[in-house]
Amino acid sequence: MSDPKTTFTGYARYRATGQLAFLLHRITGLGILLFLLIHIVDTSFVYFAPELYDHAIQIYRSLPFMIGEIFLVWAVFYHGFNGLRIIIFDLWKPEWWEKDIAVKSVYWVLVLSILAWLPAAFIMGKAVIENHFLGG
Amino acid sequence: MAEGKVRTVQPVATSEARWWLWLRITGVLMVLFVFPHVIIKDVIVGVHNIDTEYVAQVWENVLVRVFDFLLLFTTFTHGMVGLRQVLMDFVHSPSGRKTTTWILAVIWFVVTVMGTMAIIGGVSLQPGA
Repeated sequence: MSDPKTTFTGYARYRATGQLAFLLHRITGLGILLFLLIHIVDTSFVYFAPELYDHAIQIYRSLPFMIGEIFLVWAVFYHGFNGLRIIIFDLWKPEWWEKDIAVKSVYWVLVLSILAWLPAAFIMGKAVIENHFLGG
Repeated sequence: MAEGKVRTVQPVATSEARWWLWLRITGVLMVLFVFPHVIIKDVIVGVHNIDTEYVAQVWENVLVRVFDFLLLFTTFTHGMVGLRQVLMDFVHSPSGRKTTTWILAVIWFVVTVMGTMAIIGGVSLQPGA
C-alpha cells in the first residue's frame, strides 16, 4: 500500500480539462457501484426474503432516497456518455485524443448528459411532489 | 513528438491490458441494458409502482429475465473491474494487488450468484398472499 495522500494530492494537483472528466467519471462510477451492490442484494430478496424486499422498497420511496435517485440517474447518464467517449477515442479514433477535440468533447459530454437528464429529472421530480407533498 | 500528433503506443498483452479492454467491452454492452433499465424503472414506472407483485408480473416473460441477467452480469462485472482499476492507484505492491483482486473477485462471485439465483428462482410466495 502506497501513501494514499500521494495519490490524492496527484488527483487534485493535476489541473486540466481531461482531469475534470477523469474525476467525474471516477466519482460517478464509485457512487453507482455502491448503489448497484445494494440494489442487486435487495432485489435478490424477492427470492430469498420477499418481506425484506418490500421493506427495502419502502426505504427507496422516502424523500431523501427519491431525491438521491434523481442524481443517480444523472450519474448514470454522465458515466455512460463519458465512457462511450473514452471507448470511441481509445479503440477507434486515437487521433481524437489530440488536445482540441479531447477538451471540447469533455464539455459536449457534460452538456449531453444534462440535456438527456432534464426530462427524466422533471418526471421524477413530479413523482416526488405527488407522493410527498400532495398527500399521494 | 510531432506537432499536433498524438503519441500512440502498442499495448503489450499483459493481464492489465486485458482488464483495460474488458472495461471497454462491458462498457459498450452495458449501455444497451442500463439506459433502458433506468428509463423504464426509475422514470416511467417509478418506485411507487414497484413491489414483489410487479417483479413477479414482469418476470413471467422469460426474455425479461434474460435481459435482467445480462444487465446484472455486465454492470456488476464492469463495476468491480472499475473499482479494481481505482484501487490499483493506491495499492502498488504485487502481493497487495493480488489480495485486492481476490477480495473483489469473491465479492463479485457471491453477489452475482445471489442475483442470478433470484432471477432464476423468481419471486417467492409470501405467507398469506
